[in-house]
Amino acid sequence: MRKLLISTVIAATAATGAIAQAPSDVAKARRAFYTLVGYEMATLGGMAQGKVDYDAEVASQSAKDLLTLTGYHTADLFVPGTSNEDLPGETRAKADIWSDMEGVQEKGMAFYQAVVELNDVAGNGLDALRPAVGKLGGTCKACHDDYRAADF
Amino acid sequence: MTDRLEKTYLWDPVVRVLHWALVIAFFTAFGLGKFGPDQMTLHFYAGYTVAVIVVLRVLWGFFGFYTARFANFVKGPGKVIAYARTLPSTTPSRSYGHNPVGAIFVVGVLIVLAMQVLTGMLSDPEDYINVGPLAQYVSIETARKALSYHEPLSFLLLIMVIAHIGAIFWYKTRKGENLVTPMITGYAELPPEKIPHRQ
Ligand code: HEM
Ligand code: HEM
Repeated sequence: MRKLLISTVIAATAATGAIAQAPSDVAKARRAFYTLVGYEMATLGGMAQGKVDYDAEVASQSAKDLLTLTGYHTADLFVPGTSNEDLPGETRAKADIWSDMEGVQEKGMAFYQAVVELNDVAGNGLDALRPAVGKLGGTCKACHDDYRAADF
Repeated sequence: MTDRLEKTYLWDPVVRVLHWALVIAFFTAFGLGKFGPDQMTLHFYAGYTVAVIVVLRVLWGFFGFYTARFANFVKGPGKVIAYARTLPSTTPSRSYGHNPVGAIFVVGVLIVLAMQVLTGMLSDPEDYINVGPLAQYVSIETARKALSYHEPLSFLLLIMVIAHIGAIFWYKTRKGENLVTPMITGYAELPPEKIPHRQ
């Protein structure tokens, strides 16, 4: 999984117009991917913040789904020419992503690591879940700070 | 100038305590927002502290001591321009309370601080941990709009604060007036004819 993620990001730099998809469709698929990540996080975040009752089964499943998503080969979601400068109103992905793939990769690894740690503890009760979700959410923010615009 | 100066009670304790509390809370909120941990709980607490200070100061602006009340220091454009003309001179202003130009900063910074807090509370940064408490009551579009204003507003506040500190410095170096000590002790040296209830 770890190898996959790294190769993903490296491949993204190489990925070019060779993939015959309209830029808008790439952006749409990319947002759909992160929508899924957010969907699972909403469940976990809700539990961590006490808005939803903790359920070991549900928490473990969401954590597992996040792990599955980290196995998704995202290179083709980061085709050059699909930043918010290229597609205003369609995406919030900043052009900085394509000029700093190394940084993106580093933040992606932190995200992956936090997902793994979360999977170790998600079923072990609310007190174990909370710090792991907090750490994972922090890796979302770290990437957003540099690579995602606040609004479209 | 050979004004006859008298030790005068200028700022009441509420104004003074709120001011220095605001200084601490503002820089804490700003610093934690910009450089703090990715889990922003402490930033939120600092922001709420600012909110409480702003609300109390606005209330005090209606019901507080003479120099604290907006009605006594907010002036029209005529007085603002007239006072602004005196700013470059080396003559001390010896104002009893906020001067008409300073009043613009006071009201302005309270408004922008309120906007800063409100946009923060409405923000949904979509990380599922640092969500403002009011974001759940508005659409995600509104929550993103709020988030997109929160950072530019913080920059505007920083500029306003730098201008504020610059102005205090200007009074000290150009006009030889120390405005900081009265904000700490409550007392200033002023000519009696500047004090409304002594006229
Ligand atoms: C005077 C009070 C406040 C100041 C000076 C302030 C300042 C800041 C600053 C400088 C940032 C970083 C912006 C950036 O560089 O991207 C930030 C981010 C943020 N603040 Fe505040 N803030 C205040 C109050 C609040 C309050 C009351 C809340 C919520 C209850 C809040 C929620 C947030 C959120 C959610 C973020 C952004 C997170 C992100 O983009 O990932 N802030 N704030
Ligand atoms: C170390 C930094 C600061 C110093 C030395 C300072 C000094 C002062 C002084 C001397 C006054 C009285 C001005 C007058 O005579 O009319 C004042 C008023 C004020 N300052 Fe500051 N200030 C500082 C930082 C800040 C910050 C960071 C904020 C807001 C975020 C702020 C907001 C205000 C407000 C709202 C007033 C009006 C006070 C009132 O009427 O309640 N100041 N400041």
